[in-house]
Formats: sequence, structure tokens, C-alpha cells
Amino acid sequence: MAANAGNKIRNAKLVLLGDVGTGKSSLVLRFVKGQFVEFQESTIGAAFFSQTLAVNDETVKFEIWDTAGQERYHSLAPMYYRGAAAAIVVYDITNAASFTRAKKWVQELQAQGNPNTIMALAGNKADLLEARQVPAEEAKTYAQENGLFFMETSAKAATNVNDIFHEIAKRLLQGQQAQDTQAGMVLNQRPAERMVNSSSCCS
Amino acid sequence: MDKKKAVDDIEPGPAPSRSVDKFGFIKPEQGSSPDGISKSRSIHEREREERRIRKWRKMIGVGGSDWKHYVRRNPHVVKRRIRKGIPDCLRGLVWQLLSGSRDLLLMNPGVYETLVIYETSASELEIIRDISRTFPSHIFFQKRHGPGQRSLYNVLKAYSVYDRDVGYVQGMGFLAGLLLLYMSEEDAFWLLVALLKGAVHAPMEGLYQAGLPLVQQYLCQFEKLVIEQMPKLGQHFIDEMINPSMYASQWFITVFSYSFPFHLTLRVWDVFLCEGIKVVFQVGLALLRFCHDELVKLPFEKLLHAFRNFPEEATDPDVLLPLAFTFKVSNRLVELEKEYQKKMEGSNASTSTKRSQPLKSKTFSRIGSRAFASSTNSEK
Repeated sequence: MAANAGNKIRNAKLVLLGDVGTGKSSLVLRFVKGQFVEFQESTIGAAFFSQTLAVNDETVKFEIWDTAGQERYHSLAPMYYRGAAAAIVVYDITNAASFTRAKKWVQELQAQGNPNTIMALAGNKADLLEARQVPAEEAKTYAQENGLFFMETSAKAATNVNDIFHEIAKRLLQGQQAQDTQAGMVLNQRPAERMVNSSSCCS
Repeated sequence: MDKKKAVDDIEPGPAPSRSVDKFGFIKPEQGSSPDGISKSRSIHEREREERRIRKWRKMIGVGGSDWKHYVRRNPHVVKRRIRKGIPDCLRGLVWQLLSGSRDLLLMNPGVYETLVIYETSASELEIIRDISRTFPSHIFFQKRHGPGQRSLYNVLKAYSVYDRDVGYVQGMGFLAGLLLLYMSEEDAFWLLVALLKGAVHAPMEGLYQAGLPLVQQYLCQFEKLVIEQMPKLGQHFIDEMINPSMYASQWFITVFSYSFPFHLTLRVWDVFLCEGIKVVFQVGLALLRFCHDELVKLPFEKLLHAFRNFPEEATDPDVLLPLAFTFKVSNRLVELEKEYQKKMEGSNASTSTKRSQPLKSKTFSRIGSRAFASSTNSEK
């Protein structure tokens, strides 16, 4: 997964959103460190990680914001999804309520976020098949209708975790090429696009 | 659900043979745990520690009987001694005396039991989901449905019933968990009440209310203090688009009890319960000051990494706390709060009114360590 020397590195801000205990932090931990812990400490506020991923001869460097899942922390979320090149909305396949909440996140991103943000829907805990409450077909249909791409993942079994990030990277680069030929824009102008100024609390 | 349960019931391996540090946290496998206090102590040090404990015992009296009297007569001595650290064996008791929770407990016999046993809370499921994710590496909280997890659940549930507006918010578990390592469930509950409702210091419930108003205020005050105290670093943060909520929100929400070296957490809490939230600002500033020359050179991503990995020297309480106390911020915090409130009233008068809710519960009283609080607040 190491970046090839000499090629261009594209920075991409990515945010994970989803209900409490769906496994957002576990997905990141699996992707960034290849680890899994059964009892992952709750995320308070938000946590930052970064990881690079090579796709063909290009490299994407993800700047990942892992957010707190509880509704009460909602007010902090916009500063993390604003200006994001990609978002992974996570639900737990064994918890129907978390799927409902995921749909709310998708709506919010569609309404408030950047229209060019690449959105992925991750049905996590796919290893717990017998406890499934959300049929894969239902999520897949929902994803298609809303222009997301969908994967069931398992941070525990390391299923589809790298794949979902890889797919995002691929799509970012594709979108990038399309943009390059049009207007010569950059994927994520840095550092100005990282955070919108209004995220600052004062001044 | 069967499969899930089966998976969950398998313990990940808190085998009793695994070694724990002095505070009960399971040591990382690599062995070299930098907990800063693992060095073997000399006889001289141990004698000094024993003398210190004797002094503290005298100050407290049997079961806390002499405490208020001593504090009233010698507030400065008490404050100085607390800044040096409360002896670990007396910590639980002194925390209760400092916070005013002792008085609340005595004035409300049976209330906690009622909250735990007879009331139901809308937050029960949310609490359960977080229980095994609070201090998961501590031996007391590791065992599924063990005494640690049960106590944690009870305290959080009781609070979510006691104050239904606040309910349960992620982060409160770390406060409750920390307290439970030093006192009983009922004592921990009343200490939580004392903090959030403001028995001695300003109420902290705004940290957890809808919109997290107090978190926003503290972050705003902190951002200004950084710019004033360390202009070069403050400017560097602005240039790199670093916002304090990216690194400091958990400092305030959990009063440094989350993802922080535990021996330092305890020393911060000693001072926090005595002097109030001010110390969180001071410790935050001290961390930045200690690493200042390094931080000003780092770009965005490396800065965020540095905030999560402060060097071991920086988290030595005997280095960090004296540095923290060099920041005289009391008056400035008051001014910045006024500025902030004025700005909030101006910008969106409708949404920011929830903050300073008056104490609605009659079970509450401001007696307790009031005399002590005013005497420490008056000196800067």
C-alpha cells in the first residue's frame, strides 16, 4: 500500500458518520493499523487519522475524521463533513435503528454537504450474519436510489474494509480526471478547503 | 440476536495473569509501560510519603470531621497541598469533601436507591451500549456484567433520571468511571450531581446539554487564550486551519479523563475539584507551551498527531502542573465569558438561552464547601 515514489499525492478529507456503536472507529482502526479490538473506547468529540492508498500509479492520502456517534454530538459534525471529499455513512446490520439513522445522515449530507462528496454506505458487523436485522438488498436498493455506493463490511473479520476505501480512492481519482480535463481544478485545495472558516467559534 | 450474544459473551482475554499497573489498567503487551510512576521507590521517598499521609489525615480528621474547619482557617495551605497531589489512599474521601457531594449525600438519604431501582430512563439502551467501551483496559470495568460495569451503569442511569434534560451523554461515562475507582456508587453519583449542577463551582451541565453550549464556550475561550498567551503558535494554528475543537473538546468534555495518562488525570482532578474548570484551561495551555517550539514547525496533519501523542516528559504531573499554574487566567476567563455571552445573545438569542438553567431540584443546596470555594476563588 506504500505510495510509489515520484507520483502525485492527492489529499482527500474523509469523514465517518453513523450511530453509536456501529463500528466507525473500528473500521478506521482496521484500515489504518490493521487492528481490531472487541471493546473499542467510545469516541468523544472526534479523532483524526491519516492513511495513504495507491491506486494504479496514483496515490490518495486520506485525512480521516472519525466522529462521535451520539445524537447529542450532532452539533459538532458539520465542521467535519464540510469540505469533505468523501463520507462513509456506517450502520450496523444487526441494528435496524442504526440504518434509520444512517439514512438521516445521508439526507443531511445531501442537503448540507458538498454535492461532489463521494458517499459510501457501509453495513458493518457483517460477520454477525445470524443477528442480521437489515437485509442487504434493502440497503443496496436504498444506496442505488440515493447515488451512494454500498458495501457490507466487517472490521472484525477485515472484510471489505480496505475495499471500501479503495473504491472511494478510485472514484475520487476518476472524478478528479474528469475535473482536470474540464477546468484543471485540484481535488482538495489545501489547506483552505480543509475547514470552512465559519467552523471557528469566535472572531 | 443469539449469535451476537454468544460472541459478546466471550471475554477477549482479561486473563488474571496479565499484569496491571498501579491504578489497575492492564499493561500493554510490550512491557515498557511509560506510566511515569513505575520506578521503584527509595526508602527515603516512602518515608516522605508516609509523613505526607499523616499530615493529610490530621487535616481531614476522622471521616472528614475536621476538614471544613481546617479549610476555613488555612485555605492557602490546603490549596498548596492539593496542588502537590492528594495521597491516593485519601483521594476518594477528599474529592467528596472538596466537591460538596458529601453534603448532598447526607441531605438526600435514599434518593439514589430510588433512582436506580424504581425509575426507568429513556437512555438505558444508549448507556448499555457504551458500558463496555468505558475504560475497557481497566481491570475493574473489563468483566462483562461484572461489579465495575454494573456500578457504572447504575450511576449513569441514575443521573439520566435525575436530570432528564441532560440524560446520558457519551463522555459522562469517563467521569463516572474515574469516580467509581475511588468511591462507592452512591458517592460517585452525588459527586457527578455536585459537578454538573454546580455545588461549589459553576455548573457543568452545559457540557452535555443539547448543542453542547458550554463546550462551545470553553473552546472559544481557549482559542483566545492560546492566541494571547502564545501568539506565534496561535497564528500557526490559524494558518494551518487548526480549530481547538479538533484537539481540546475531549479535554473539556471529560476533564482530561479520556485518552490521557491516568496518573496525570488524577492530579488534574485533585486541582479541578478544588479550584474548578480553570485548571483544564491551564493544563491545556501548559501542554501547548511545553511542546511550543516543536508545534510551531508542524503542518496540519502532524499537529493533529502531536495532540494525541504528547511526549512523556510533557505528561509528568510534577513538570506540567507547575507550568500550568504559571498561566494566570482567572480574570481573563471571566472577561472572555462575558464577551462570548454577549456575542451569543447578539447572534442567536433564541438558541443560546438554555445554558444557565437554575437549579430546579429542591434536593440541592449550596452549603457544603462554600466557604472554601469563595476563599480559593478570591486569590488568583
